[in-house]
Amino acid sequence: MISAYILISMQPGKTDKAIKEMRQISNVAKISIIAGEYDIVVRAQVKNLEELLDVTDRIQMIDGVNKTTTQIIEKEISLQ
Amino acid sequence: MIIRKKYLFYILAVTSSFIAATVTALDSYVGAQSPFINDPWAFAFCLLFVGVIITILITLILSVPVHGKSIGSKILDPSFKKIRFVHKTELKNHFVSGVMNAVNTVGYCAIVSQVQDPSVILSFSQIVILYLLLMESITEKDVPTLIEVQSSVIVTFGAILASISLTGEFQFIPILLVFIVVNPTWAVFSIYQRKLKLMKIRNRPNDSINIRFWNVIFTFLFTAIILFVKDVFTSSNHLLSGFTTSVQPYYFLILAATMGTTFFAYVLYIRALGLGKASVNNAIRASTIIFAVPFSLLLLKLGYITEFSTDPVMLLIKVIGMILIILGIISFALTLIKAYIFIAIKPGYSSRETMKKLWDIRGVTHVSVTAGKYDFIVKVSTRTLMKGYERIIRKLDEIDAIKKYHWESVLKDWEKI
Repeated sequence: MISAYILISMQPGKTDKAIKEMRQISNVAKISIIAGEYDIVVRAQVKNLEELLDVTDRIQMIDGVNKTTTQIIEKEISLQ
Repeated sequence: MIIRKKYLFYILAVTSSFIAATVTALDSYVGAQSPFINDPWAFAFCLLFVGVIITILITLILSVPVHGKSIGSKILDPSFKKIRFVHKTELKNHFVSGVMNAVNTVGYCAIVSQVQDPSVILSFSQIVILYLLLMESITEKDVPTLIEVQSSVIVTFGAILASISLTGEFQFIPILLVFIVVNPTWAVFSIYQRKLKLMKIRNRPNDSINIRFWNVIFTFLFTAIILFVKDVFTSSNHLLSGFTTSVQPYYFLILAATMGTTFFAYVLYIRALGLGKASVNNAIRASTIIFAVPFSLLLLKLGYITEFSTDPVMLLIKVIGMILIILGIISFALTLIKAYIFIAIKPGYSSRETMKKLWDIRGVTHVSVTAGKYDFIVKVSTRTLMKGYERIIRKLDEIDAIKKYHWESVLKDWEKI
């Protein structure tokens, strides 16, 4: 299983609609609206890189998405 | 389905409290039966003996697959596949949880057997929330903030006021039992149940159904051992009397109803423990006292209980207690701040060592080493921004390897369940 964070910059005023569409994507495990350099962080969980490409493609097709930066997780420690 | 994690946590904890209130009402009815009222030790054995049988049955039913997924996974916990043996990595945690739950049960019986109306004494068991705060500050990486301490104190005193009865009397030994047996064992039990829920078994998140199933088995074993020793040393007959009562069809059925309902309350409680701290969970669980009111009125109407104070002063105290519980829970819910920190490190520093240093910072809940623009994505949670600065940012500044970092506060989040 591959996990990745996709950091997204949005056009102003299109975040809510974009979130609704992102919630429909099957390999999306988590979505956070954030305040800072980016507007949205999506955590994707996929079986292989091909599936990750599908997720990033679908996100980039959403109206209002300006730019995405994908960070593939190599190692992780978590409380939960 | 992707929903807001915070909602899921509160839905699970509140639903568990609601079911627990049903259990309290059922327990009042079952405990008032003549064989049980005279021998609370035998009552504890009966509950656990029938509890083991009914828990095995429910877990087997929940293991039945329907369209490729088990019933338990569809309706209770998505992490559940089927009934399974204890994994060796979780054995120690099950052992501790079982011993604590058994000692807690025995402590409860000792109180009930010494006082006529235990409600005045048992209301002090709500102070367990404060024990949990103290224990979490030692065992978890999360020292409680002033807001957490304030909210916990509000809920604790609210719960004491809402559950206290002035018909009982204060006795030193039973109160001492609450403070040195009932509360510590419940606090340790909650912490170990949370540890179990946070474990991964064969690369899957541990499920609350198997955790509850094995806890009932271990608790039964240890309680039976304690009662056996008590029977031998005091020449009493609790084990045999409990066994003979529980196999009578009528008593078996009512005990099965109460333990079957308890199973669902605990499964949801354990699931909630996987999402939030044990102290916050127990604070929300104090709402059981509020949910118990309609059940008490129902039992009164049906004639199963005869006493329900209508003294205006007593009612006022209880209403104040309930308001305090609600205020405390809302205060917990609204004061958690989460953030991502995106970190780039300088060349020539080990990622593994930096990861360890990041993980040692209090308030850090996730550390991910990533390939891309940033080298680390860290997730933190704090009750106030000031604490975030003092505990997290100052510590980040002390790590030489860090070239730059961005703090990105989370405004709203959703998670797949």
